Amino acid sequence: MPTEPVVQTPMHATRLRSLQALGIFCGFAAGAWLGGAEAPIKLVNPDISPITVSLIMVFGVFLARWSVPAFIRGTSHVRNDVRQAPHLVVWAVLAGCMWAVANTLTIYAIRNVGLSIAFPLWNTNSLLGILWGFLLFNELHYAGWKRWLGVLGGAICMFGGATLLAIASSHQAAPGKAALGIYAALGAGILWGTMYIPYRKAYLTGMNPLSFITFFTVGELATMTVLAVTYRGARPLWHELLGAREVLFWLMLGGFVWVLGDLFQQYATKYVGISRGIPLSNTNQIWGLLWGVLVFHELRGASQSVFAQVAGGSLLMALGAVGIALSSATEREHSSWQDAADREGQRYGVEGEYLRAGMEGREMKAPELQGEARIASAGGRTFLDWLLILVTTGLFAVLAVMARLPRVEIAMGWAVALTVAMLALLATCGLALWRTTRFR
Amino acid sequence: MSLPTECAAPRNLFHMIATDIHFWIPLGVLVGGLLLLDKLR
Repeated sequence: MPTEPVVQTPMHATRLRSLQALGIFCGFAAGAWLGGAEAPIKLVNPDISPITVSLIMVFGVFLARWSVPAFIRGTSHVRNDVRQAPHLVVWAVLAGCMWAVANTLTIYAIRNVGLSIAFPLWNTNSLLGILWGFLLFNELHYAGWKRWLGVLGGAICMFGGATLLAIASSHQAAPGKAALGIYAALGAGILWGTMYIPYRKAYLTGMNPLSFITFFTVGELATMTVLAVTYRGARPLWHELLGAREVLFWLMLGGFVWVLGDLFQQYATKYVGISRGIPLSNTNQIWGLLWGVLVFHELRGASQSVFAQVAGGSLLMALGAVGIALSSATEREHSSWQDAADREGQRYGVEGEYLRAGMEGREMKAPELQGEARIASAGGRTFLDWLLILVTTGLFAVLAVMARLPRVEIAMGWAVALTVAMLALLATCGLALWRTTRFR
Repeated sequence: MSLPTECAAPRNLFHMIATDIHFWIPLGVLVGGLLLLDKLR
């Protein structure tokens, strides 16, 4: 095991600034795509049980989490990452299990206290993320009071905005068993906030987000399947899945769109840390609201006070996001991140150049690579990659043929406008990631 | 410097993870979440 520090030289200031800007851009793109994932789900009949809805979405998520990395870089890179830092497979599976349990808890929270109370409670995950980032990974160390104010003030501002938006968008929800719902929502927030520990661990150690998500989803799908079978029973669940075949496409599409948002969130976490990346991607609530209000006419006939809450909540969230975006890490703070990375490298015996290349968002230098790692670095997709892409595309095509568009009134003009905006963000942010890091 | 493949035998790997305090925080939270879910059913 290496005993010498593995990350010694500070990153060049220009490179640091460009990675910070990229991370912030990824945070905003994540918000758009995570929020947009709600759109296909709104087309689904509410008669299907929420657990089954989650399970079907997670199937879509699973397919996307393997086919998108295969398409972007090829799975040989995943193998290379596992060879360099095998311990992160365990961390990724653990994080996936946490996501599935948190997601199930939100179903109970919404059922018992309604979205207006539940959403702000589980949105505290970003505040917990800041705490873990500070305590465990040296985030916001030597940041100065202005950056502390920007990040913490911004997160609190976004929390306030989220509360207003949740109240406005759930004026029809009926509260039920309050205490149970509050425990469920808080539990989801704690699970999601703590789930960012494995995220940060992985990215400080140099792992590529495209590799991390492939193992994350194993924990996610396994836990969700066990929960669904336990709660619904195998036979009733199967019948419900068969009965839902006309909406499988929409739910799995929602899962696919969600993965693209989550991928941007992972890159944001990698390059600006959890204390900044997570609050920024929580802007998904604004996008979800835009889809709901503009495309699905959700606030039609609502009172002026509801619209005032929407305007105030959106403004607060936007101000919070701007505050965080303007508080990127200084060179001094970044050097304390490197100390945390150094600690991880020494504990798990991760090769120094791998760790350093990961932090700097670049490929490992060729002479350091050996065997298959060199082949992976050279790029190119294998037969397995094309098979994954073809199977996923084929499955979605079959489900699309089976799908029926429910009778929901949709403002097609707004749907097209929002889709174009999301695609523009996907293209520009994807291009920025490619140019700056080659999706590293 | 030793390569990761040389020092990452499965037994060693699990020992490294088990002795990492960071691992027990999410694991504890996950167990807590499962218990809460069981109470809510």
